[in-house]
Amino acid sequence: MGFSFCNYRKMGCITKLENMGFRVGQGLIERFTKDTARFKDELDIMKFICKDFWTTVFKKQIDNLRTNHQGIYVLQDNKFRLLTQMSAGKQYLEHAPKYLAFTCGLIRGALSNLGIKSIVTAEVSTMPACKFQVMIQKM
Amino acid sequence: MTVHNLYLFDRNGVCLHYSEWNRKKQAGISKEEEFKLMYGMLFSIRSFVSKMSPVDMKDGFLSFQTSKYKLHYYETPSGLKVVMNTDLGVGNIQEILHQIYSYIYVEYVVKNPLCGLNESIQSELFRNKLDSFVRSLPFFSARAG
Repeated sequence: MGFSFCNYRKMGCITKLENMGFRVGQGLIERFTKDTARFKDELDIMKFICKDFWTTVFKKQIDNLRTNHQGIYVLQDNKFRLLTQMSAGKQYLEHAPKYLAFTCGLIRGALSNLGIKSIVTAEVSTMPACKFQVMIQKM
Repeated sequence: MTVHNLYLFDRNGVCLHYSEWNRKKQAGISKEEEFKLMYGMLFSIRSFVSKMSPVDMKDGFLSFQTSKYKLHYYETPSGLKVVMNTDLGVGNIQEILHQIYSYIYVEYVVKNPLCGLNESIQSELFRNKLDSFVRSLPFFSARAG
């Protein structure tokens, strides 16, 4: 599952969407955190993304946050806002990556402005649930 | 009381969706023919009603009934038409047809970028939501009336 791209052209548009999300994420985090206290650690930041950030953007929290404590976080949203109107099963699954790229960028951009470099990928097996995997890049 | 079937037409007369629950008699023609016939009749009734009306109308054509069933008609400003056949015991259900439009059609077809507009609706989610909505209507069950 996850991203599988059949051709290079499609890859290009996914990257473009991801980059747009990145820029928007950077902008949003700047505005959302201007009245927030500084974060203690990486987990604190991830919790902020799952709660406040997600609520402001998607009007709900992330349902499940898991981590291996080695820089990999999995954010699971059981009713991801952009997919709820599309399907409640496997129909249209092949189209899902297009609608997740922007959000992956959004997370990456937000983290980036909090000083965390990361790679974010998304995975859908049954809509509208989806998982975002955040891999922190050690600098 | 009972619900027989439901048609959704777009402004050009394309049948976007058809579903049936309690239909004892079929038309005896192909579904495509039936949709055309139905739309043609509705179209005629609309122009008939507007020409024959002795006063200015707000809503226009709302419903008609025969000795056995009642046809309810609801049309949005964008030209989407919701047509539901029920038995005679059902009163005015404009509000319910409007809910089908706003809670189900808009929500699961218009807000789904993968659904083409003005073509037959393929989304399973839409079908499921519509089916459970109609089944939950107070006048759906046959034994109630």
